[in-house]
Amino acid sequence: MNIFLRELKANLKSLVIWSVIIILLILVGSSKFSAYYNNPDLLAILKTMPAAVIDAMSLNAFNLTTITGFYGLMFIYFGLMGAIAAAMWGSDIISKEERDKTVEFSLVLPVSRNEVITAKALAALVNCVAFVLVTWAVSLVVAQPYSPDQGFYSYLALEMQAMFIIELIFLAVGLLLGCAMKQYKRSASTAVAIILAAYFMSILSGLQKNLDFLKYFTPFKYFDASALLSNGKMGGIYLLLSGLIILVCVVAAYFTYNRRDLYI
Amino acid sequence: MSATIYRHEFLARLKSVISWSIALVAIIAVFFSIYPAFADQATLLNETMTKFPPALLAAFGLTGVDLSSVLGFYSFIFLFAQICLAIQAGNYGFGLVSIEETELTADFLVSKPVSRMQIMNSKLLAAFTSLTITNLVVWLSSFAGIMLFRGGRPYDLHTLLLLLLSIVIFQLFFMSVGLVISLLVRRVRSVTSLSLGLGFGMYVLSAFSGLEGASTLELITAFKHFDPNYIIQHSAYDTPLVFLNVGITLVSLVASYWLYNRRDIPAVS
Repeated sequence: MNIFLRELKANLKSLVIWSVIIILLILVGSSKFSAYYNNPDLLAILKTMPAAVIDAMSLNAFNLTTITGFYGLMFIYFGLMGAIAAAMWGSDIISKEERDKTVEFSLVLPVSRNEVITAKALAALVNCVAFVLVTWAVSLVVAQPYSPDQGFYSYLALEMQAMFIIELIFLAVGLLLGCAMKQYKRSASTAVAIILAAYFMSILSGLQKNLDFLKYFTPFKYFDASALLSNGKMGGIYLLLSGLIILVCVVAAYFTYNRRDLYI
Repeated sequence: MSATIYRHEFLARLKSVISWSIALVAIIAVFFSIYPAFADQATLLNETMTKFPPALLAAFGLTGVDLSSVLGFYSFIFLFAQICLAIQAGNYGFGLVSIEETELTADFLVSKPVSRMQIMNSKLLAAFTSLTITNLVVWLSSFAGIMLFRGGRPYDLHTLLLLLLSIVIFQLFFMSVGLVISLLVRRVRSVTSLSLGLGFGMYVLSAFSGLEGASTLELITAFKHFDPNYIIQHSAYDTPLVFLNVGITLVSLVASYWLYNRRDIPAVS
């Protein structure tokens, strides 16, 4: 419990910084969106555009003249920010003890290594939940002037659940990296490599039909904004895949941390 | 300028420079390799798009991004290269002097018979050398990619050079902004989180720059200052924004020297 509270406090600043970034993103997006809202000319042109063009421009069959369409466009960026923040929180919360040379201290306390990881992971999880809630709340406030309907609220709720699952995946990956990497520097740089690779794969898989298989390797493609809108729910196979990744990473994190030699 | 510090700093970053360079070559190569097939599809799309009134296409930022042309597609790749370059430069900037404090070597360093000015000069120069190596790798792989995959399609060398020349200013921006932030805060904990936040934060802020509608908030992001779409469309830089960018870099650098010269360096107890 003490570790949990201590970590919450230590990570508060980081949470605030990430929240500011996501709020800025929503503000920039909405100021752009105001030029499109209820613009019938654009609506007409969107309807006549071939689907391939819309895919290529990642306008994703979304109608930018409505607030729902705008949030469909925003989703990939929410996912990206959530993923980066979660991966950093996950890897940092474990590896910082070695960076700050406090790891011997925290491990001589009368708590098992398992308890240390659990408390730290829970603190990072609270951060992730708070991050989603901030995004959700700010989105709701920004949407108010555009008189959103019930469909918008349920779509936003679905998007936020998907964002949370993306966060969980990257949090688990980050935790594993923090636990498994022998040097603290390596856990962060590997996390960067994984995030960049996943993001570029998600772009590549959309560019070409025969690269479509890449979508199974990148969590950014597990929850596609246009599929969320048309199906009204998350894809079962992807939920299963996400659950599997999270489970494997968390189990491996506990396993490796319990038997690792500390880098002092 | 101290040759010893320079050499040590340069060698310390060598592995990171090599990894980033390999990553960039891989990204450029992979994206270019799908260009030939993509260009054929895109040419068809362009034909359908000519049916639409130009004003409406401009509203969606579709005029600048003819993905079937060599440079149109390259602008797309270039944006991803920019993300990597931003994170790399941010890493070096945030870590430039803060790493000494994290690793408890700062008091050792400043007790050496070199002035803080010299420390800063050598460190900055070493980081800049590292960034320039990566920059050169991007130049070479871009030219190689275009040569190999353009398949006889024409491209404008002048515009390509403009894009590539922007890299050095872009790198310096992220390095010096990272550096000044690292000196403004009392203690840098995680270099990578900060540089990822700065790099990706600025990237997403500029994500909508292709869309119509002004946003002053957008002007703070370096991705907007060197928007590849703009450069390709106009075959020129967006001069006021480039000046803004260079201005921020210069102010950050001057402030960094000032802050570092009077920084309270904690001793290791």
